[in-house]
Order: sequence, then C-alpha cells, then structure tokens
Amino acid sequence: MKTKPILITGGTRGLGLSICRKLLKSGYEVVAAGRTKSDELSQLIESHHETPSSGSISFERIDLADCASLHSRINEISKKARGLYGLVNNAAIGKDGVLATMHDSEIHDVIRVNIEGSIIATKYAIRSMLLRGEGRVVNIASIIATTGFNGLSVYGASKAALLGFSQSLARELGKANITVNSVLPGYMKTDMTSGLEGEKLKSILRRSPLGRLATTDDVAETVDFLLSHNASSITGAQFKVDAGSTC
Amino acid sequence: MNIRQEIETSYREACKNRNIEVPESLEDDMVLLESGLDSLGFAVLVTDLEMKLGYDPFTLMDEPVYPRTFAELFSVYERFKDRAQK
Repeated sequence: MKTKPILITGGTRGLGLSICRKLLKSGYEVVAAGRTKSDELSQLIESHHETPSSGSISFERIDLADCASLHSRINEISKKARGLYGLVNNAAIGKDGVLATMHDSEIHDVIRVNIEGSIIATKYAIRSMLLRGEGRVVNIASIIATTGFNGLSVYGASKAALLGFSQSLARELGKANITVNSVLPGYMKTDMTSGLEGEKLKSILRRSPLGRLATTDDVAETVDFLLSHNASSITGAQFKVDAGSTC
Repeated sequence: MNIRQEIETSYREACKNRNIEVPESLEDDMVLLESGLDSLGFAVLVTDLEMKLGYDPFTLMDEPVYPRTFAELFSVYERFKDRAQK
C-alpha cells in the first residue's frame, strides 16, 4: 500500500496543530510545516515517538512569506516523503484593523502569506500528486470570505481569493484524480482569535443555532474526511464548520 | 546524461499514461499542443523531468517562455542544464 504523506502548512499551533493531531490518529504521515516548531508540536512528536501508532509526524520549516524559497523547500519535503498525497493550506496571518488606517506593509503581508505563499506552495506540492496519479488539496478559508466582518477586510479578501483559487484548481486537477476542496471555519478559540471577547463574542454566540463556537477539532474532522477515500467523489466543494452561525 | 533522450522517454511515458498515441519518431517541428498531450499532461512531463534531470527550466527562467515545438522544448532544457541540482 502506498504511504500517504500530508503536508499541513501552519501545522505548529491552533487549528493546524489540531489537524495534525487528527491526521496522525488516522494513520497519515503528517508533515507539520511552519516558521518555528512550537512547544505543543514538539510534545505531540515526542508523545508519538513514545507510543508509536500507525502514522508518523515530523516538522519542516517553511516560511510562506518567503515565496522564493518555496520551490526548493517543497521539493525537499516531497522527496523526503517519497511524494506527497495531500496538502492542507492552513497557514495564514490575520491582521485586525480598519482598512483606512491599516499600514500598507500589513496589507502586503496578509496578501503575500495567505494568497501568494499558499498558491506557490500548492503549485509545487501538487507536482508529486500528479506523478502519483492521485491527491488531495484542502484549503482552509474562513466564513469571513463570504459573510464579511468589521475590521477584517484584507483577511476576508485573502480568504475569498483562496475560495476562487480552489474552484478553478478543482477543475484543473480533476482529470489527474486530485480533489481540491475548501473548509470555511467559523470563529474558534485559537491564538489567532484570542482578541475576540466581550460583545463581539456574545454576538457570534447569539447567531449560532447550536449556541456555541465550532472547535478546532470539529474542523480537523472535516479535513480528515476530505482527505479520506470516502471523499473521493467530492471536489470543488466548500464546507462551513461554524456551528451554524451563518446559516 | 542525454537530455534529449530523457525528454523523449518522459514524453512517451506521459503520453502512454494518458492513453495518447505517440508517433514513432519525435520530430523537431512537432507542435506540442497538436501532439495530443494537453496542458495537464505537459505539467506531468515537466514534473517528471525535474525529478530525473534535477531542474525545472520553467521555474528558473526570468521571463515565461512557452515552447511551441519539440525542438523548442529541448532547447529550453538545454539552456538551463548547468543549473541542475543533483
């Protein structure tokens, strides 16, 4: 049986780490990528080594802001993994602030990491899938891409771009037996949304029919499904995981 | 390393995997897009050649060039052969 290495960008903390944990449990060869190895990821790797199960997990340094480095980095990772089966484009930065006063450099940073970096990483990651004759790409967008949110216009634009990217790429890669899908998480408790408190948080909870926030584990379950054989006929689809807050 | 031979071999493999009939000899003036290999098949060819030759000329070039014929494709790979990483 062919091994199934999955590269998860931004896999060192928050949602990315939850995805790594879930995929490891499902038996994948998890490659958690990020700028620096977090303590939480180190613990996960260590605990897996102590009680190894069917999957594996490793860390690879990738900086999506450094687009020129991505070709060689992704090639090295693919080679080490003997060909990637899947890519989860999870890495993103979110700058909170009204557009009129947001510094230009912050706008560039969001666009570079969330769009340019993710697209270029995908370009090189899908190459080994083309040679395998199968593969999975899961793009982590956000409900902000379709609903909008005060103070997140640039972040929202970057996530909407990822949705457009997914739709066309799904058409492009279908013939190669590679699926491309998007997951749109709602508000979850992560480092990235730690500033979300008080009235803003209450208003989000009020909108959810389930009366709660979705968790990173909920989103990880959806990613796991999209990577599985059970999702082999699903491509170009968008899955909201937001406890119903946008229904 | 015989670049032309590698390109021919990879080209034939890419066509075979996509159930495309390849002419017995690959002539210099053969137009790539008319040879049956579509753009996705071409992407597979470039990926396969990067694995074998250790470089992707289309990533290395400063301005995008899209070879029209088999000779042009060969010449692109020939031009960047010194950048091979193996």
